[in-house]
Amino acid sequence: MISALTIFALVTSTLLLTMGWSLFSGKKWDPSGRHCYITGGSTGMGLALAILLTKKGADVSIVARNKEQLEKALAQMEAARVTPNQVLRSYSFSLDTFDAAKKALEMACEPHGGETPEAVFLCAGKATPGFFVEETEESMKKGMDNTYWLAAWSAKAASQRMIRTRTHGKIVFVSSVLGYMSMLGYSTYSPGKHAIRGLAETLRQEFLMYSIDVHIYFPATIYSPGYEEENKTKPKLLLKLEESDEGVTPEQAALGLYKGLQRGDFHVTDTFITDVFRTTARGSTPFGGNILKDVLYGFVGSIALVFWRRDVDKQVVGHREAHEEYLTSTGVLPPPSK
Amino acid sequence: MFWRARWNPSGKHVYITGGSSGLGLELAKLLSARGAHISIVARDPERLKSALLDIQAVRLSDTQIVQGFSYSLLTAEESAKALDAAIAAFNNETPDAAFLCAGRSMPRFFVEHTEEELRDGMDYGYWVQAWSAWVLARRMVAQRRKGHITFVSSMLGLMTVPGYASYAPAKHALRGLADTLRCEFLLYGIDVHIFFPPTMFTRSYEEEGKTKPALTKRIEEADGGLTPDVAAAALFKGFIRGQTHITADIITDMFRASTRGSAPGHYWVLDSLLDGVAHIAAPIWSMLTDSRVKAHREEHSRYLEDAGLLDEQL
Repeated sequence: MISALTIFALVTSTLLLTMGWSLFSGKKWDPSGRHCYITGGSTGMGLALAILLTKKGADVSIVARNKEQLEKALAQMEAARVTPNQVLRSYSFSLDTFDAAKKALEMACEPHGGETPEAVFLCAGKATPGFFVEETEESMKKGMDNTYWLAAWSAKAASQRMIRTRTHGKIVFVSSVLGYMSMLGYSTYSPGKHAIRGLAETLRQEFLMYSIDVHIYFPATIYSPGYEEENKTKPKLLLKLEESDEGVTPEQAALGLYKGLQRGDFHVTDTFITDVFRTTARGSTPFGGNILKDVLYGFVGSIALVFWRRDVDKQVVGHREAHEEYLTSTGVLPPPSK
Repeated sequence: MFWRARWNPSGKHVYITGGSSGLGLELAKLLSARGAHISIVARDPERLKSALLDIQAVRLSDTQIVQGFSYSLLTAEESAKALDAAIAAFNNETPDAAFLCAGRSMPRFFVEHTEEELRDGMDYGYWVQAWSAWVLARRMVAQRRKGHITFVSSMLGLMTVPGYASYAPAKHALRGLADTLRCEFLLYGIDVHIFFPPTMFTRSYEEEGKTKPALTKRIEEADGGLTPDVAAAALFKGFIRGQTHITADIITDMFRASTRGSAPGHYWVLDSLLDGVAHIAAPIWSMLTDSRVKAHREEHSRYLEDAGLLDEQL
């Protein structure tokens, strides 16, 4: 009798752990009727998210720089419209200053009677990989602008407005697997993506005072127009190191993020690889919905990643001579004096 | 049995930014006492002068060069000038080791931070070291010289606490840079390290306290801290052991182990034990901190209203 009870208790608790606490948490987040504001919303994951949220009945505002791309994007959103009342808009702004971020947000609030968006998705950003010794002062500053400041200024504009208008909204950051770790070639990208993590973690805590939820998505490779641009100038060695990396489509990424929001996840990861990095880099971040999974992945990852890194390191070391020739050919290195 | 000869400071040229006070100064003294040539860079000329006297006082021999330069290091140009000034006495050869200790923080709630303060946070937390690293790396590679570059981040580069929205991002960013460069500099045989100290009781720490929110102070109450000389000794120890990520106290070490991802750890068994402890201790700390933040809501709301921060101009 007692052993049967014990077994029952063990099985139940294991099932509970594996199914996750989300069973007992509140309603899933429903975007229908809510105003969703998406930076970087005209291409890639931002656009896919805009279309997904439109299909769910949300009012969607997208912000980006290129007017042509914004028009095309808006047409796709219109085609996905599910009710005649949905407010679908696009705005052309460069969001790399606080002023611009505030202006863009104010404009987006106008069709909504001045009300603050309930969900802000900070998808704007891009990567320009290269070798550190070849970077310029400009490329380094732009790298931080295009990763961190694009996110931070809009986050400040949005959160200030939410606080002032007592809107209990969501702010969703987009970092990257390169916000959990880094490797060759990403000296103008990984710092900004790590910085986004640092900001999101701080804000998750501070915004408990304002009932604003914070989420942060960590994708790996997304097969977007941005990714194609990136690869045009990416160092060959890095292309080789990333050869076997699998990616997701922007639609898959948008869906992965959306599901994570529904689960109430703080850090959202939606592939095996990004799960492994999340669980081996957790630190003070709360556990995901499935604690047992996190513990297992973390344990396996702590072993597997050692071998992965050693393999990457070996390939880099093996590339020394070729790299020296390359730097000599571009003039960064003077020819060796013999 | 093989082991690498431990890095010996004697006769080496060490370049230390933020070297006129706090961690940088203690490190300079430590290395001077072990025979190194020391170049320190900082802004205030008066503090530089007194720091140089302290560093000279402990050197082993007066053949050791001890020099100081006043530069701001917030731009690439300043950082290049500082380095060039320092290496002039060494036949323009790059230093054997650089420790980038420059930096400071201004804790404040995100909603209260001005745009300028947020930019300053990244300037004084990230760029002040990134520019030096960039200038150093380009010179070292051009000269085909090996060496070491050491960043100084913070426990707040591995985790965070309310009140540090302008600082934690910068300190996290340094980690991203260090991990990138550790891998990339395998191409050149240049070693990269990054130090994550906890609270250090320095002049900067006292400055910080002036703007630090009461909530942040309450959360940090139970934390200890280290004097800069103890921190410097720990940094040196980790450095000569060849560690990439260096810590000086067990709490930060726990965060280091539990955030290491694919970065090189220390001993796997020890790291796994620390990580195991973090699995339990970190969520408890996190839940306690969260409830403290929530308990602060009303007080904070009144404060925002009184300070007029909820007005239209926001």
